[in-house]
Amino acid sequence: MLKRPKKDENNTSFPAAGTAEVKPTPPTPSPNVSPERYTSEEKTTIGERITIEGSIRGDENLTIEGAMKGNIEMGKHNFSIGPNGRIDGEIHAQDVTINGQFKGTIKALGKVAVTKKADFNGEIKAKSFSVEDGAYFKGVVELDREPHKQPAAAEIPRGPSVPEAAKKPIVPRTDVKVEK
Amino acid sequence: MISPTSRHRYNSDAETLPVGYNSTILKEFVDTLERLGDAQTLDVGPVCQENITFFARRMARHHVCDMFSWLKRENGKELRTGDEWKYFDYPERNFNGIQLWDLCDYLEDADMIRLVKLCYKMLRASGLLMLIAFEKKPAVSIANTFVIGQGYRVDIRPQPHLELPWKFRHNRALTSLLSHFIIVRSFRYHSGIREFLFKKPKSVRD
Repeated sequence: MLKRPKKDENNTSFPAAGTAEVKPTPPTPSPNVSPERYTSEEKTTIGERITIEGSIRGDENLTIEGAMKGNIEMGKHNFSIGPNGRIDGEIHAQDVTINGQFKGTIKALGKVAVTKKADFNGEIKAKSFSVEDGAYFKGVVELDREPHKQPAAAEIPRGPSVPEAAKKPIVPRTDVKVEK
Repeated sequence: MISPTSRHRYNSDAETLPVGYNSTILKEFVDTLERLGDAQTLDVGPVCQENITFFARRMARHHVCDMFSWLKRENGKELRTGDEWKYFDYPERNFNGIQLWDLCDYLEDADMIRLVKLCYKMLRASGLLMLIAFEKKPAVSIANTFVIGQGYRVDIRPQPHLELPWKFRHNRALTSLLSHFIIVRSFRYHSGIREFLFKKPKSVRD
């Protein structure tokens, strides 16, 4: 069942600090309204007994409690899978929360959050990531990388040109370290 | 020869979990892989946000396959079909580094041998394998996460949902099970934690 519009009162994903006492205000019909502000007001929920095969494109936040096979394109809006939701496909959104089962690829402009109720199998590409202890998780995570150190004289020899130092045999060392 | 493992219930030296420590092996593991620039790593779990974020920000691709949760599910089954390890299905020579943490402490020898063989196949030439083992039985037989913090400090966070039988292996038994690898370095901490860094030899095939 489609429920729309709906206040964000049950949405536990991505709580912003200091928003607990915020009173709902009517949306301002301004073309300059930020996507975040807009998306916090509008949300569609697809119910548990709905099964979708195909693709979804949306301009407001979406939660799927049912089953879905296909791609989801939410642009700068948030997407979440409810505890009983099952999705097999590709998700593009601002922030994504996984409470249920997911298999596929997530590309998020912001954060991906995987809760302990989730069963995740797939790939994540996002700015930031969180996962709760207890979640079933098998996948690849790609986040914005920290600038890495420049490759130096290879400690791990790679390719045909191996420095002399790296050609020396590794001498196994067993050390005892005292931790105070 | 592989020494027999012993279940913790026969070990009377139960201890509370050691406090955090600064991991020398982890630093060497990360520093070496970071220098490659395009390293791919595999973490066998348990799932830990801090660790995933730590590696995902430093490596080109960071894979996570929570074998502890898998083990918990497998232990709940009465019969084993023999294809349990299909879950651990990565291509050959795919990774530059694998973090086993203390997974070996929860595996019987047969499974441990299987795991080591798979890791050997999955690692690229000169790939690194990092593992940790407790010296004494934890007071509570639950798996732990080794949470990476600032300056390669590692803190131990129990995972109450992962109650698994614990095994003890002497250093010789552990290294014997990993005899296909070169042992690069090992540390023994007074807190009762042992750390090992192994390396896959460069072979003609690779």
